[in-house]
Amino acid sequence: MLLDIKNLTIEFHDHDRPERVVEDVNFSLDKGEILGIVGESGSGKSMTAMAVAGLLPRKKMEKSGEILFEGKNILTLPRHELRGLQGDEISVIFQEPMTALNPTMKIGKQVEEALLLHRHMNDAERKAKAMEWLGKVELDDAERVYEAYPHELSGGMRQRVMIAAAMVSDPQILIADEPTTALDVTVQSQIIKLLLKINKAAGVSILFISHDLSLIKQITHNVIVMQKGRIVEKGDTDEIFMNPKEEYTKKLISSIPTVKLRK
Amino acid sequence: MPVIKSIKKIFQKYHGFNFNAGLIITGVIFIIALVGCFYTPYEPTAMNVSIRNTAPSLAHIFGCDDSGRDVFSRVMEGIRNTFFISTMTVLIGSGFGIILGAAAGYYGGKFDEILMRINDALFAFPSVLLALVIVSLLGPGFFNVTVALGIAFIPSFARIVRSGFKSQVNMDYVQSARLMGAGDLRIIFVHILPNILPVLMSSVMIGFNNAVLAEAGLSYLGIGVQPPRASLGLMLKDGQALLATAPWNALFPGLVIVLMVLGFALLSEGISEAA
Repeated sequence: MLLDIKNLTIEFHDHDRPERVVEDVNFSLDKGEILGIVGESGSGKSMTAMAVAGLLPRKKMEKSGEILFEGKNILTLPRHELRGLQGDEISVIFQEPMTALNPTMKIGKQVEEALLLHRHMNDAERKAKAMEWLGKVELDDAERVYEAYPHELSGGMRQRVMIAAAMVSDPQILIADEPTTALDVTVQSQIIKLLLKINKAAGVSILFISHDLSLIKQITHNVIVMQKGRIVEKGDTDEIFMNPKEEYTKKLISSIPTVKLRK
Repeated sequence: MPVIKSIKKIFQKYHGFNFNAGLIITGVIFIIALVGCFYTPYEPTAMNVSIRNTAPSLAHIFGCDDSGRDVFSRVMEGIRNTFFISTMTVLIGSGFGIILGAAAGYYGGKFDEILMRINDALFAFPSVLLALVIVSLLGPGFFNVTVALGIAFIPSFARIVRSGFKSQVNMDYVQSARLMGAGDLRIIFVHILPNILPVLMSSVMIGFNNAVLAEAGLSYLGIGVQPPRASLGLMLKDGQALLATAPWNALFPGLVIVLMVLGFALLSEGISEAA
């Protein structure tokens, strides 16, 4: 078991009334597993992911429970230790590839960032590693991309760059927070295929957050269904899609549009 | 250094008419200031009573002043001093302004609130007035004026940098850098600062402008550069009394001030046009 989350509860305190956004969430992530978290907006799925990434703000928020990674509790880890994990063992790809890259930095430098921060490598070694990953995410003309600025690339290319930047340090966990929502459908399926390929080749565990059930069905091994901060149902993806037990899950699944041929 | 690279990029990127005109004007003035460090046609302080207030001629192209000193040589020294003071002013002002503004904008919260209220209090004084207060505490003189103007210029830079950081700090790329494990200093100077550089550069140029005027103003009031050293403001003040009889005394320093201000204003305009 790579990541073990026990009784995770997150409560906001910046309004008059405390607001519980995640309540008593328990799950674990195994090595090489792709775990999907699905739910509507406000179900607490992104909050859970952010907690795992160690990105929750430190103030105005009550956090209880444990997020254990290699015996360390991410929720209470001191900042400098957390920084040692982030980008090294745990990486994140964001939803918006348009804004997640720094517009004034060359792609190459951004892909190398994690190596610069966590590895003792010289410039040539870093570049070699970055080029290797730009190739692995199936960008043609990696040499040109390396020297390009983000505005010179398309959305799909940028998302590939984001994946390369996240994977360059060979992390154990990759958190993908709606990584394909901002992309059009053809690019979407390419990125999903790419993630599956990377999961197989690098053995990285992926925490895949999405509201899109058809994507979850395609990519994940196991799935967690969340509603209003609580886990409604969890288990093997195929199993849940075949015979959902909870009413909410049934409704979610029946809401997937299907194409029917008219007779 | 990403900051230096970004500055280079700005110069490669901007070549509108305003930018070029500004670059030529400030470039020529800068060269004159540079030459003024090593060579002036006459000693700027050498007096010669026999040529008092003589009109411009081939030997003295800007004429001579009330003490028989060569106005052109003094203008050269004046440009040098004004340039030096305004450069230092902008360096002090933007340096501390960047540090304070970045800290306030990046960390936010109470720290930001306190820092910015102090900033607002300082900002309420016109910068020349503030410099005047500081000079009256430190005493007049070349370096005191530089320090005073530098301090007086901090609030405006801090404010610009802060608002720049505020607009960037929640962007995804900053979050993403944080998630890579980058420290605060790295995020501030390597990731965010290059992104607000176009705005900053443009206000640095306006800052130059204001510094030139402020220095001239303080020297005009007699609390800036002290005689016998020359400054454009000081020459303007000395020439004022002779405006009817020997107008070249005030005309040339005044023209140079106008050109300097114009040059920097054009540069600033050119940068913000292209940004």
